[in-house]
Amino acid sequence: MMPLESALVWTPVALSADLPAASVIPARLADAALAVWRAQDGTVSAVADRCPHRGMRLSHGFVRGEALSCIYHGWRYGKSGRCLAIPAHPALTPPETIRVATYRAAERDGIVWVTASQEAGAVPAHDGFLGLRSVTVAASPARLAASLGGTLDGSVIDGTIGGVTARLLLASSGEEGVLLVHLLIASGAADAGKIAASRALEGLRRQAETATITGEAA
Amino acid sequence: MSRDAMIDEWYPVGLLSQLLPEGRETLLMGETIRVSLGADGRAKVATTAGHPLPVTERYGHVWSSLGQPARPLFDIPEAEHPGRRLVDVGVVRVRCSPLRAVENFLDIAHFPFVHTDILGAEPHTEVESYKVEIREEADEVWATQVKFYQPQAAKSASGGITTEYMYRVPAPTCSVLYKTCPPRPGEWDVITLFVQPLTEELCDVWPWMALYDDDTPMTDLIHFQQMIFLQDRSILENQIPRRLPLDPGMEIPTRADLTSVAYRRWLKRHGFTYGAQLVAQ
Repeated sequence: MMPLESALVWTPVALSADLPAASVIPARLADAALAVWRAQDGTVSAVADRCPHRGMRLSHGFVRGEALSCIYHGWRYGKSGRCLAIPAHPALTPPETIRVATYRAAERDGIVWVTASQEAGAVPAHDGFLGLRSVTVAASPARLAASLGGTLDGSVIDGTIGGVTARLLLASSGEEGVLLVHLLIASGAADAGKIAASRALEGLRRQAETATITGEAA
Repeated sequence: MSRDAMIDEWYPVGLLSQLLPEGRETLLMGETIRVSLGADGRAKVATTAGHPLPVTERYGHVWSSLGQPARPLFDIPEAEHPGRRLVDVGVVRVRCSPLRAVENFLDIAHFPFVHTDILGAEPHTEVESYKVEIREEADEVWATQVKFYQPQAAKSASGGITTEYMYRVPAPTCSVLYKTCPPRPGEWDVITLFVQPLTEELCDVWPWMALYDDDTPMTDLIHFQQMIFLQDRSILENQIPRRLPLDPGMEIPTRADLTSVAYRRWLKRHGFTYGAQLVAQ
């Protein structure tokens, strides 16, 4: 279960499609709460989900142009994590020491990836797949793989869902016993296949969670 | 965590107007208490074991304490001037430290972002210098000459004005705000925040007002203040850590935060740490 618990590997936190330009969302990297945001120019950045001023979650903030602002007092942070402006003191240039911790962020195959490691190599490739939908599932990876009838390898499950070739990427949801699951399907799938896979994912979640509650063997 | 220094303080535990003979159970600093209307028409507060607790009836609320208050409840002389409307706003439960709730009340820099187009609006975000002091004789934190541009400062305000404020912290979980009164220049409206510490990370907030406003229906006055406080709640329940850090280093204040800096210093000086986080923890 190492991959789900380490902040030092590339971790899938969201679908690119769920993070439009000029928006911010909360995310989880192992034990750390993150705010992942996309600037107007499309760049994705990840920072610690806490404004150093008064501790407010930055994932509740807003993005304007190329900066993330805290919703509490409007403190503005650039992609480097540095505080660019403090609205209560418009004439002040914030000292360089005021900054929010940053994480590496990247996108590939329609998935947003983050890591706390500066050494982590290339972003994992899932060639031929495209992110379709993310859900949380209150079940273990083994239980989920068993419910799908797929094969579990680390934090990846391969199988078929709704008649479509599918891959599930597993990550920590931040809640004990609950997985964040990203469904990837063949990138050439037709709309009908996407709809079928999306619906089947809901069925899979129910099945895995019911099996967890009733204690069926995984 | 320590209840010691704060245990002898007065706390709001309910509205006088809503007392019932059969009483109602609530929490005070982790202790279950019962607040009821006695046969003599006075408020009664007791532990679940039936041990009576001190009671004060004032400012629309019942006040009590788990300890032995050394002095009476603080005075708000202005609130007793004739001609004011006294407004029981009610209660808002907030999953935060009681101290964080008070600190947020002392803050004006958040108005344009949290109370957008009501108590503040961009680009009017600047907080001008104001005066902060700990008045040694009264042992209270005071901030004066606080000015802020407000699109709709009160229910009775029409259009934007620069509002002047004074803030006062007479008790660890209570604050009194004096605010420019639109219909009566020269007078101050009184808006208070009385916070009942249920636990270190959960509180009931009882705002109360004494206003010069004869026109606005009571329901509208209550709705206005509840709307403002519900906006604050979305902040208060999302601050990390949940407890108020009293030691420097955990958070970064600026000149606009001088009231909060003085409040934290005053709390620490008195050992008022119920709901606080100290470095040692």
